[in-house]
Amino acid sequence: MINLTWLTFLPLVGAAAVLMTPKAAVQAQRMIALAATLAVAVMGVMLYRDFNAAIVGAQQVISVPWFEIRNGQDPLAINYKLGVDGISLLMVALTSLLMPIVILSTWGHIEKRVKEFMVWMLVMETGMLGVFLSLDLVLFYFFWEISLVPLYFMVGIWGGERRIYATIKFFLYTLAGSLVMLVAVIAMLYQFNTSDIGALTEMAAFLSPKTQSWLFAGFAIAFAIKVPVIPFHTWLADAHTEAPTAGSVVLAGVLLKMGTYGLLRFCIAMFPAAAVQWAPLFMVLGAVGIVYGALISMAQNDLKRLVACSSVSHLGYVILGMFALTSAGLQGGVLQMVSHGMSTGMLFLLVGMIYERRHTRALDEFGGLAQSMPLFALFLVIAVLSSAALPGLNGFIGEYLILSGAFLANQWLAVVGVLGVIFGSIYLLMATRKVLFGPITKRANREIADLNLREVALLLPIVVFIFWIGISPTPFLAQSQPAIDSIVRRCDEARALKFASLAPEPSESSAPGDKSSNR
Amino acid sequence: MNPQAQAISTLFDDNALRAMGPLFALTAGALLVLLAGIIPALRAARHLFVAATLIATLITQIGILRAPIGAVLENTYVADRTSALWGILFVAATLLAWLFSVHYYREDRPFQGEHDFLMLVTPLGMTLMAGAQDLMVFFIGLEVLSIPLYALAAFRRNNARSIEAGLKYFLLGAFAAAFFLYGAGLIYMATGSVTFADLSGTQSSSPVFVAGVALVMASVFFKVSVFPFHLWVPDVYEGSPTPVTALMATGTKAAAFAFLLNAAFLIPVSQAALIVAIAVITMAIGNLGALVQKDVKRMLAYSGIAHAGTILLVVAAYLRGALMREAAVDAALFYLGAYVFTAAGAFGLLAALERDGEDTTTFESLKGLASRRPLVAAAMSLFMLSLGGIPATGGFLGKWFVFSVSYRSGFVVATIIGALLSVVGMGYYLRVIVAMYMQPEGKATSSPHGQAPALPMAFATAICVAFVIAMGVLPNLFLDHLP
Repeated sequence: MINLTWLTFLPLVGAAAVLMTPKAAVQAQRMIALAATLAVAVMGVMLYRDFNAAIVGAQQVISVPWFEIRNGQDPLAINYKLGVDGISLLMVALTSLLMPIVILSTWGHIEKRVKEFMVWMLVMETGMLGVFLSLDLVLFYFFWEISLVPLYFMVGIWGGERRIYATIKFFLYTLAGSLVMLVAVIAMLYQFNTSDIGALTEMAAFLSPKTQSWLFAGFAIAFAIKVPVIPFHTWLADAHTEAPTAGSVVLAGVLLKMGTYGLLRFCIAMFPAAAVQWAPLFMVLGAVGIVYGALISMAQNDLKRLVACSSVSHLGYVILGMFALTSAGLQGGVLQMVSHGMSTGMLFLLVGMIYERRHTRALDEFGGLAQSMPLFALFLVIAVLSSAALPGLNGFIGEYLILSGAFLANQWLAVVGVLGVIFGSIYLLMATRKVLFGPITKRANREIADLNLREVALLLPIVVFIFWIGISPTPFLAQSQPAIDSIVRRCDEARALKFASLAPEPSESSAPGDKSSNR
Repeated sequence: MNPQAQAISTLFDDNALRAMGPLFALTAGALLVLLAGIIPALRAARHLFVAATLIATLITQIGILRAPIGAVLENTYVADRTSALWGILFVAATLLAWLFSVHYYREDRPFQGEHDFLMLVTPLGMTLMAGAQDLMVFFIGLEVLSIPLYALAAFRRNNARSIEAGLKYFLLGAFAAAFFLYGAGLIYMATGSVTFADLSGTQSSSPVFVAGVALVMASVFFKVSVFPFHLWVPDVYEGSPTPVTALMATGTKAAAFAFLLNAAFLIPVSQAALIVAIAVITMAIGNLGALVQKDVKRMLAYSGIAHAGTILLVVAAYLRGALMREAAVDAALFYLGAYVFTAAGAFGLLAALERDGEDTTTFESLKGLASRRPLVAAAMSLFMLSLGGIPATGGFLGKWFVFSVSYRSGFVVATIIGALLSVVGMGYYLRVIVAMYMQPEGKATSSPHGQAPALPMAFATAICVAFVIAMGVLPNLFLDHLP
């Protein structure tokens, strides 16, 4: 048994320990951070092992009364409630495994104010784990907003030239979405007088489609900005470009997944009728994101910006798959969330590694690195092929499931998605050719040092998972299957209801908890 | 015993005396402090007297909180759980402002005795305002609060801006007082009473009564600084000595809102939409105005306007019937409670940075503060995040409660606008953090902010930090005590 409170707050304990160290004890700060994240990783693996896939609902639940708000006769009780289900399990595992790798990667590029950096990293891990594990809406919102703050500092202090612009843009963009969500959260809480996510999910399905649509929109704006879904994507490229490598990895690897996770857990699972109604729009936005992200990636000369733009494309797949609202699409979406965390995270790490050596990320500054850095070349090719969804690697499984799921919902959008796969291969392979192959044109590229032991050590675990998921995806898919099945069932019921109500005259149905009756 | 004495002794029965305990404690303490300033032998004990007065007031208020008394003095003054909680908040605001002021003044140190006296009189006025059940009692409270503040605003006599602040505050305050008296007169003319107990029964809609209420409300709106009576705020806040600004921003605002909630029943229910509109305009003006400021103190002044607009939503909700009243008072108390500790902390830290250095509180002067004074910068960041309403701070829950009340009262659009305006708000709070953490030290400042805050200031900051976090993480500790 893993105590989820310990899992969530252990990084915070680590942060406190780092704060105690003297400023100059850089090595100690790094070791403490590494030890804390490694301990969380071990707990994450144990949690995965103990998880019982046969159970649909949340497991390992911890629930403690937190505070009560007076509300006439029955107070609104807010609980501190954590638990893990099939969907959050994968996210928790991804977060806990990625964090030690990220900490290890900072050895090379975080030289100043190491103490603060480690503190923010650890605070961020607590925030992210909290988001995935919360089973109480207020607690979720708490963690959701807290997790903004560490990245704000990371980009703002350790970022590149335009870091302040990028970090404020990132913060305000996401906050704007969050506050719209806050209004939706308030609406939910007082509608049902509970903040328990499980109970809310059960009850919200009975709301009238119109009410569901409003609440869906309130939540969806926040999550769509976080993902980011296409019209809201402009903050991402700036934040990624300016962020330090470690920040980029966490941002791409986990933080963006909070958006897709939220869409799945709240928008789709809570408001199935609205999800059915809005799904076509989101599928279109996802498909547009796939193609648009790929096209802007082709135009980039900055390697890091290229990877950032490719994120928009890859997350377009997740959106396309999830809003297909079919079993395969949702499965693929969830797996693609994990795969993208691995492959894009690894790409950011690799870009960071050559940036540390050359202090440039411009594509035309490189060429022929395969000769001087064979190890780097090997890892880069693996990461690129995983990102381009080569069969046998992790990216393929997710994209295949997504496209087959999307095909059931809408053939034409699936075709657009397939086009994206081709575009994706083009820009990824073009960039790889420019960096690795051809003659060495710059002297600095000839004398560049290959990856050292630390760098190989931190990349290897990711490579293992890239192959593992690619060759044998079943253990990863099996855990989330029951949770996804129940979501699909809810959506099918909602769809059936919609068509049933379309046949006769659409009547103003007033469900038990309809909003208008509460005024 | 003659009949007059008899009447007085029945008026001031045991309950009335107990209800007035905090007022007595403050009066006696303030006079003692004034005396201590004159008598050389007692001068050293002055600080002790101030602290003892505030603690005695706190104890009497906690006594009232435990065993509420209700209306006394022929229903003109009330001492219940709500008024006790407001009273405790005023004690906290005064204590914090005073702690930040102890080492603040340089040239005017000889007059510190008078300063402390004036500061101790202000919570007396605030307590009267919050407990007033009668327009005249409120007016006395208002003046007892305002007159010391006029003097305190101009307390740095060698500083032209401080004099300007005092004069401006005084002139506009005098206007507001005149408005109030005229309005109270009109209400008396229409109804024949100025006591709430009598007024709540009459549903007068005569033009005289309505005009009277409008004038009274205008005067209170001036004190809480909402549109269109907010124009004095930036200049006065900027020019006043920073600890005094802290007191004005927290204590005065809380007291005026306490009264506003008590007197909200005077506003016709049909005017709730008007109040909501004023609230939204105030939030917009405050947040957009703060965005372009170069001076942090001025920025916080505008932010204070924005916060006043936010709480005004609660006042509008109060008009929406008995169901919302309890929630409205809860939300106002929690929001202002968090705001007292947050804003006092923020202004206080500015005071700590100003003292002995240059009198600048610009963003420029904050640059690189994190490397010079990491703890000050960390505390300041916490206050900024709380003002912006980021979770794990009291500011977040306050904002949440206020928006909940506003949403449930049916002001959905206003709630969404308020939420989006608070994103704008976060924009300028973030600038403070940017300056402290993300920008290198400016050339203009020859590092005036090198010294550590003096002990009382550090202590006050620690109190603020503790409360801001506790209110954000363990709100049950506070929610359980709500009336």
